Formats: sequence, structure tokens, C-alpha cells
Amino acid sequence: MIAQLILSTLLAAILLYAWTEYRRSPAVAILTVLVATAGLYFVWVPEHSTRLAELVGIGRGVDLMLYIWVCLSLIVLLNLHLKLRTQMELITTLAREIAIAAAKPPKD
Amino acid sequence: MDPVSRAHVYVVIPAYNEGPVISRVVLEVRRAGYAVVVVDDGSSDATADHAGAAGATVIAHPFNLGQGAALQTGIDYALVQGAQCIVTFDADGQHRVSDISRLIESLVRERADFALGSRFLGQAPNLPLLRRLMLQAATAFSRLTTGLQVTDTHNGLRAMTRRGAAAIKLRQNRMAHASEYLSQIARSGLRYVEQPVTIEYTAYSLAKGQKVGDAVLILLDLFARRLYR
Repeated sequence: MIAQLILSTLLAAILLYAWTEYRRSPAVAILTVLVATAGLYFVWVPEHSTRLAELVGIGRGVDLMLYIWVCLSLIVLLNLHLKLRTQMELITTLAREIAIAAAKPPKD
Repeated sequence: MDPVSRAHVYVVIPAYNEGPVISRVVLEVRRAGYAVVVVDDGSSDATADHAGAAGATVIAHPFNLGQGAALQTGIDYALVQGAQCIVTFDADGQHRVSDISRLIESLVRERADFALGSRFLGQAPNLPLLRRLMLQAATAFSRLTTGLQVTDTHNGLRAMTRRGAAAIKLRQNRMAHASEYLSQIARSGLRYVEQPVTIEYTAYSLAKGQKVGDAVLILLDLFARRLYR
């Protein structure tokens, strides 16, 4: 029960994070919600993870959890990449303003 | 667009380490009477000095941002300067200055806001087979994603009216800007025409041009751009 409560708190925090990210990147937010909700479900109904794992040919429920964790990590990586792109766009705007302000017209 | 004097036509040339050729390109365009804006995209050679000495307005990015970013910088600057028509032109010497007037004439004649150069309607001597196939695949992809029935998507020689230029806001800094440019034309609903142009490939321009592997990066960039606002 203690582990279930800790994991539920963590996954709830991830859901909250997904909600805050929705405006910037709906695709990432929806993916995160899907994976975190699946995680929450299996935390409270672990026997279903084993059944689902057998159904999709993974074998053990714990392996299925591992794969879900890997998926979450990849989503986090994707989100970081998108954030870097957003930062780059801001840097570009700033660099452009500086460059235009310092434009050198022809001498003639 | 009504006919405009050449002094109100701004030719935007993005350049990155084009020291060996930029003077000749700028001089040729200047000789034809157009205003020239060279956007030096963080070159490590003397591109900016050569372009300035040849008579161009030089805008220098503080560091390398990419061709798309350089084009948008040049377009923004030209609009602020009151340009009535803006032409984008490659720095590596593969475009013909005589094609600029044809593009502008087609804007006036067809009352269009964008005139897109097409090497496949015109000529592209020395175009290697692999690059031809790559460009045709890119064209098929752009037709599919933008709905524009164009024949040449990655051609840097284009002309646009002031109204057309104001509708363009390139956010793809690097190579995917050509596809983004077409998407924004489609979204603007403004009229576009294609105009045959000649692209003269040289050993220099071929060495600097896009590689087959770049197509994968372009697709990834276009995909990533759709994932956030």
C-alpha cells in the first residue's frame, strides 16, 4: 500500500505537469496523460498488468511497467527537445533584432 | 502589383562562408540596379567585408542561425526599408541575375504576390541525377502537404510583393524553411505563379548544396514543428 501511494503521488504530479504543458505542446501533453494514466491504473490493479503483458507477448507485468517507464522517458526527451527549439526561436528573434539594428548600408 | 522601379526591389542574399564568390554575385545584382541585402549568417571568413565592399547592405548575424533565419532577417529588413518587391537569391553564384526581372514581370503580369523560380520548367544544366531525384521527391512531398501544384520546391530564387513578404514568417531556421515557405503561401491564400529559371551548377555550388541525408533532417524538423505552438 505504501508503494502504491508513493507511485500514485508521483504519477499524479506527472499528470499535473502534463496539464501545464498542454498549451505549449498538446501532443506531448496528451501522450504524457495516456502513459501516466496507464501507469496509475496498473499501480492499483497490478494483476491486469500481467494479463495485458501476456496478451501483447511481453510475459511479465513488471516488464510491461519497465516499457511504460521507457516510454515516459522518451516523452520527456521529446519535450526537452521541443523546449530547446522554442528557446532557439527566442534566441533567433533576439539575434535578428540585434543584427538589423547594426545593419551596415553600402558606402556609396 | 504595379510596376516598380529597380531601386525599390530588394534582393536578399543569405550567405555563410561565401567569401570566394560573394563579391561577384553582389556586383552583378547591383549592376542591374537592384538594392542588395546580404545577410551574413555568422561566417568565419570575410564574406561580410567582401559583400560590403561590393555595394551591399550587410546584416551580420552574431552567430550561425541557418539559411531560413537569414532569409527572414533579410525580408524583415527590406520591409522596414520600404521595399515594394523582395527577391531571394542564392550567394553561391548558381542563379542568373536576368531571371530576377522575369520573376518581377510575372508578379505584375499575373497580379500575383509570389513568383517562384522553377528549374524544372526552365533549365538546370549539370544537375546530378541523385540530386534531381531528391528534388523531385521533395516536390512530391510539398505538393501533398501544401496542396500547391508546384514543380520545384527547394529553389532559392523567388520574388514576392510587399504584401506577400508580410505574410511570411519563417520559423524553420535551417533547411526546412523552403517547405515552410510554401505552407505559408498556401495558408495566406495569396496568388502565386511559377516562372522558369536557370540554375547553373558549378563544382563550388554542388559542394555547398544540400546532401541526400539532409532530406531526413528536413522531415524531422517539419514534424517537430507541428508538435508545439
